[in-house]
Amino acid sequence: MKKTIVYTLVISLVTSACQQRFLDLAPKAAYTDNTYFQTDAQFKQAVTAAYAPLLDLMNNDFYVSEMRSDNTFYQSALANRGTALVFRENISDFKDGATNSYTAAEWQYLYQIISRANIVIARLKTASGLSAASVNSYDGQSKFLRAFAYFKLVRLFGGVPLFVEPVKDANGAFKPRATVEQVYQQIITDATDAIQELNAPAKFPQTGEATKGSATVLLADVLVTLQRWTEAETLLATLPAMGYGLQADYASAFLPANKNGKESLFEVQYLDGTTTGTTPNPLSFNFLPRSTNTTLLTGVAINNSGAGGVNTPTPDLISAYEPTDKRLDASIGITEGTYNASNLFTFQAVKSVVGYTTPPAGRVAVPYIKKYLHAPLTALTGSADNFPIYRYAEALLLLAEAQNEQGKSPLAALNAVRNRAGLLNAQAADQATMRQVILHERRVELAFENKRWYDLVRSGTAITTLNAFGEKIKAQANYLPADGRIVTPFRLLFPIPAAEVGLNPLLTQNPGY
Amino acid sequence: MRNLFFLLPFKTGVLLGCILICRLSPVNAQPATGVVRGLISDNTGPLPGATVQIVGTQTGGVADANGRYRLTVAPGTYTLAATFVGYARKEVKSVNVSAATERVVDIQLGAGEGNQLQEVTVSYGRQRRREITGSVATLDASLLQDMPVQQFAQQLQGKIAGVSVQQSSGQPGRGVDFRIRGAASFYSDNQPLFVVDGLPLTGSINNINPNEIESFSVLKDASATALYGSRAANGVVLITTKHAKAGDAKIEFNASYGVQKLPDNRAPNVMNAQQYATFMNERYQDIRRYENPSAVTPAEYENPAQYGAGTNWYKLLTRAAPIQNYDLTVQSATEKSSSTALFGYQEQQGVLINTGTRLFSGRLNKDLSIVGGRVKLGFGLAPSYRIDHNNRLATDGVGGLFERIFEASPLKAPLNADGSYNRDTYSPGMVAYINPLAQFNLTNDDYKTTRILGNAFLNYDVVKGLQLKLNAGIDKGNEIRHYYQSGVVSSTVNNPNGTSSATDNGSYTAEGYLDYTLDFRTDHHLNLLAGYSAQKFTQESNTLSGLGFPNDDITYLTAATSVTGSSNYTAYSLLSTLVRLNYSFKERYLLQGAFRRDGSSRFGTNRQYGNFPSLSAGWIVSDEPFMKRFRQINFLKLRTSYGITGNNFFGNYVAQSTTSNYYYNFNNVITQGTTIGNLGNPNLRWERSRQFDLGFELTLLNSRLNLTYDYYFKNTDGLIQSRPLPTSSGFTSILDNVGALAFWGHEITLNTVNVSRPDFRWNSSFNVSFDRNRIKALVDPGYIRRNNTVTSDYFRNQVGHQLGEFYGFVFEGLYRDAADLDASAKYQATATAPNGLSDIGTIKVKDINGDGVIDDVNDRTFIGKPTPTFTGGFSNNLTYKKFDLSISTAFSVGGQLLNAAKWAYQTNLDGSRVPLAAAADRWRSLDSPGSGVYPRTKTGTTGLGRSVNSQWLENASYFTVKNIALGYTFGLSDRSALKGVRLYASVQQALVLTGYSGMNPEINFAGQDATLGLKVDENAYPIPRTFAVGLSATFK
Repeated sequence: MKKTIVYTLVISLVTSACQQRFLDLAPKAAYTDNTYFQTDAQFKQAVTAAYAPLLDLMNNDFYVSEMRSDNTFYQSALANRGTALVFRENISDFKDGATNSYTAAEWQYLYQIISRANIVIARLKTASGLSAASVNSYDGQSKFLRAFAYFKLVRLFGGVPLFVEPVKDANGAFKPRATVEQVYQQIITDATDAIQELNAPAKFPQTGEATKGSATVLLADVLVTLQRWTEAETLLATLPAMGYGLQADYASAFLPANKNGKESLFEVQYLDGTTTGTTPNPLSFNFLPRSTNTTLLTGVAINNSGAGGVNTPTPDLISAYEPTDKRLDASIGITEGTYNASNLFTFQAVKSVVGYTTPPAGRVAVPYIKKYLHAPLTALTGSADNFPIYRYAEALLLLAEAQNEQGKSPLAALNAVRNRAGLLNAQAADQATMRQVILHERRVELAFENKRWYDLVRSGTAITTLNAFGEKIKAQANYLPADGRIVTPFRLLFPIPAAEVGLNPLLTQNPGY
Repeated sequence: MRNLFFLLPFKTGVLLGCILICRLSPVNAQPATGVVRGLISDNTGPLPGATVQIVGTQTGGVADANGRYRLTVAPGTYTLAATFVGYARKEVKSVNVSAATERVVDIQLGAGEGNQLQEVTVSYGRQRRREITGSVATLDASLLQDMPVQQFAQQLQGKIAGVSVQQSSGQPGRGVDFRIRGAASFYSDNQPLFVVDGLPLTGSINNINPNEIESFSVLKDASATALYGSRAANGVVLITTKHAKAGDAKIEFNASYGVQKLPDNRAPNVMNAQQYATFMNERYQDIRRYENPSAVTPAEYENPAQYGAGTNWYKLLTRAAPIQNYDLTVQSATEKSSSTALFGYQEQQGVLINTGTRLFSGRLNKDLSIVGGRVKLGFGLAPSYRIDHNNRLATDGVGGLFERIFEASPLKAPLNADGSYNRDTYSPGMVAYINPLAQFNLTNDDYKTTRILGNAFLNYDVVKGLQLKLNAGIDKGNEIRHYYQSGVVSSTVNNPNGTSSATDNGSYTAEGYLDYTLDFRTDHHLNLLAGYSAQKFTQESNTLSGLGFPNDDITYLTAATSVTGSSNYTAYSLLSTLVRLNYSFKERYLLQGAFRRDGSSRFGTNRQYGNFPSLSAGWIVSDEPFMKRFRQINFLKLRTSYGITGNNFFGNYVAQSTTSNYYYNFNNVITQGTTIGNLGNPNLRWERSRQFDLGFELTLLNSRLNLTYDYYFKNTDGLIQSRPLPTSSGFTSILDNVGALAFWGHEITLNTVNVSRPDFRWNSSFNVSFDRNRIKALVDPGYIRRNNTVTSDYFRNQVGHQLGEFYGFVFEGLYRDAADLDASAKYQATATAPNGLSDIGTIKVKDINGDGVIDDVNDRTFIGKPTPTFTGGFSNNLTYKKFDLSISTAFSVGGQLLNAAKWAYQTNLDGSRVPLAAAADRWRSLDSPGSGVYPRTKTGTTGLGRSVNSQWLENASYFTVKNIALGYTFGLSDRSALKGVRLYASVQQALVLTGYSGMNPEINFAGQDATLGLKVDENAYPIPRTFAVGLSATFK
């Protein structure tokens, strides 16, 4: 009897041990959160993953940051009223609602950056075996990315839910909105930490990672937005010592060959090709009229009929360039051709925008963004052009602004930018005039760099400028809806995506939507 | 085989006594010198214990353990009658008995008509029908063989109450879905568990040749399914394959050939060239009249009269397609061994051009009995090979190939003058879709699937009453895909792309259990089953994609200039213990308890084990003495059950947070990033269903009428859903237990023998079920919508509502005139644009919140319900002399269908697609307002027409004659090797009676997954009608 009991016990022990092994299956083609975040290389990869959503972000950012301004509009697509097209137009026309999918995508990718940064920041706190240099680098890059994302969010949507720890379960995913002040506080803390932890570029061209310079200009931009001029000026003054400077000529600042060069403070990194993980930049041909064949401009037979026809430079912007400004020809081109009844363009000629008047009979002329288009492209999927987030030229203009607002002369910084564009020095003027001069300089220098909407809002000129512009552009493009381009104060903030509000009872919608 | 004496101990003595009396006490004064002997059987084998009587005499006897009887009687001509409890009495007339030779008369008793002693397959074993306390429906597959179909699921349509089988797509070899008792789950599978010869399948059911199947048992309630524990919540379908019966030695050959054709009257009537040119011409006239006086009509539309019918893309892309089946079955069996070999070939070409499927299948079943019957062992092996050609392309739904038919202009020719494909077959104003004929013909997507099902068993009688049973099975699959799309039709022109992928998967199941039977104190019968089961599934897959093919000559990736790819591995395991106890008293009072404990690798670490108990009871009322008065009642059983089952059909590692790879570039080099990509949930558990069932089975009028009724109520909680998370969390969803659903319903099955004469027999089978469901609970915000885009947000699953209730605007006609427009709410009206997107002649919808403005968020509501009032089927089988006729029908009454295909795609008045001819009758002016159904074409105002409104709903009722088959059996001489030849002609999908204006009232764009939407028609592959002739021949 005793023997039986012993045998039974032994057998049940053995089988229960087997049982556990039999049922504990971990994936072999991926890590789990228990097995990852052990080595330096794994943390480096986790930081890389936090950069990745920038690529998706740039595919949406120009809708909310550039097309909502007087810099660009869209080409007619009246033959197709599918929501994919209508939603794009709605943002530009100030007719967008909370269900707009491009606003929702902007929101989602910004928060994806934040979430991945949160994972790194939290895991670093308990990591062992990493050098102090690694911890500083990974924490600093993550905090830069988190600050960058929240800075965009707070300007687009106002006070947003503030996630600074990784979400671990369903309950942790539902948060109410923080106040605008709380969000800015977090941005400043993160950017300050990042400046502390990151190094200045070790060499030019840089790697493409965020540096002390990136964090510095980001914080300066935040401080300028908050009108903390003195602090901004102090910060911006540290940049030249890090090796930054202007490229000799404006157009070359955007050449793929000059990626991450001395003018670059931070840019989104693209590569062309078709190998796994390659992310070519599709924007250059999406900014062309919708067509089944863009060869004339891109050098390869790209069909951009789905995503094209957006971010077309406005006549208003073209006329904003001073007569000898080299930046006009570097930024904008004109293409001639014809539209068919399906709103598809046939490219027939490429012309310089400088001095361009009217197209020959039977053709239409469409301006396009030339700055990021370096034909011939090597693949149908896109180019190797990086997308600038901060250039040294902008740092100079931020400095000029901070100086002007403190009653100091902004001319040195301002004229450095103007001279590079082939323009004469700006003359000294009173503070208010100079404020307009700097705003105008930002418009042409930073055209299509997704700055214009924020500049208009923070300068308090968005409503008057854009309403006046709306009247003009509606007269120029008869396909624009008559009730569009009417800007009322509530439109200075975008609606919180309806799906978020619908899902999360703690969230409140912005007024007016 | 079975042993009735063993199972029916209390009767044994009586019966043996009877045999003795019969044999020892001849009542006839004449010397009994003649002998009649033979075998009494039913379609499943011998019937030990059956009674044989010589009519008009006292002579009779009982079949022995092998079903054999032997009677001695004086020479003469007699009528023999065989009876057995639960079977209809059968008489054999004009039996000549002479003194010289023994006369052999084999009698087969009819199957199916309430033969309560017939054993049927149940979970983990077989059980006599009368002893079953759960809700189990069985079907003899031999009655289904005339259908020219390639999936056994199609044979089961309308056959079993509570089992909904719907053909939601006509894709060859695909598109059939099962749903038992309305089973639904938000995330997990809704399909029942399929078990073939005791082996739970882990792969698809598509590779099973219907001809291999002998019978189906469908387990519906919790007590019937509980032994399958965490996989049983959707019901279980047990499939028994063909096994030879003792005495068999035969070869059967079946062949059928048919032609499938789409019913012409259901094809959408799209505008032809002249009609479309006229429509566009008028559209430009209206643009000039109302919007832009300088708009120019494109030259193509200036003179519509110049066009005739133009290109009929529907005709070009569809065809009459052959379907054929050939099967050879070789069977032989002795008392100790039995073998069955089957070979099948099936081929079905699609009614859409350049699609089709072929299946080669085989099965070998071998059973052996040794050591005097104490050891029984056997194995089955079923290899199959399927070639799918283009039938898995996204032909259905949005952007599917079928929709493409309506996206090509009738003004355009499919081919250029030089015979090459014209890529751009759109007319001015249409979206630039690509020539669908070229898409169909220049896309190649082949899947080759090899599958091996194998099982082996060993049963060992340890001591009397105790049996050890061991089962092992494998389900091995391998699939390779070769995809290539020519640059002529690639979305970017001249950018051919190819994919090569392969999947290797396999599972094994190993089970051991003890089966103990005990009879005590005469009336008590006990059966105990206890066992252990382990199952593991693994799958490895890889996929390679190539770009940069120089031309279409070589379509393999060797010709690609760039290739990218990935590979993957996944696995799950299941470890279970199970116990079942059956107890019966006087064979009249039945009790069953079952329990299974499942451990699953899929569940969260905190919830790895689940317990699944069930209890059921039966009472055979008709055996009570007080029932003797009711002589018309042959059999009456009441039964009830309650139990808990689970659903674990979801992804393998979803409970764990896993990493994913994301790419970025540093230093101009692709850099791999890796971080948490899936938010795990360690508390994730299986969905739990608690089901109650109450039913009865009644047999009347000498077993000619059989009625089965069941009421069920099922509460499913812990519903798993890929729960949307605010994207501000950085994740879009988490797999979570989010809510509860209730299902309830009534099921009625009525089988009748209407006429039973030797030369004319007519059986009917009718079933109907009333299934209801309601969402009882959901996490915040209490509903799940289909997606965030209003135009395709077809339905909403919301607490207090049915699954899949349609959600949208309420149609109120068109704005009649300025006064009507003035007085009504308008779409997206603002202070600066008081008419918003509305105008006279555009769609008017109800202002639900009464704020004077129509908007997407506040003015949509629940507008209809997809759930039918009742569904069912009615089948009739008639034999007259050598003719036989069977008619099967299926019906569904009540409920609505959302015809998205018609309104969102086929009547798009922007002119971006070719509309239905009916849309010519649209609003054009106050004087020409049209029928009031189709709005005006004003630019920008047609947007609302793409959002769901109540105009899209139609009555979903239908009555379908699924199959009509007429056969003739040739009489052949006994000496011929050819024992039987039957010829038949059959029509599948013979007739569809419905008020629905679309192609297929059974359609569902998401199969039968209630959580992805029910009864939504989004351009599915239509179901063809099939005319077939067939032959079956038996050689002995």
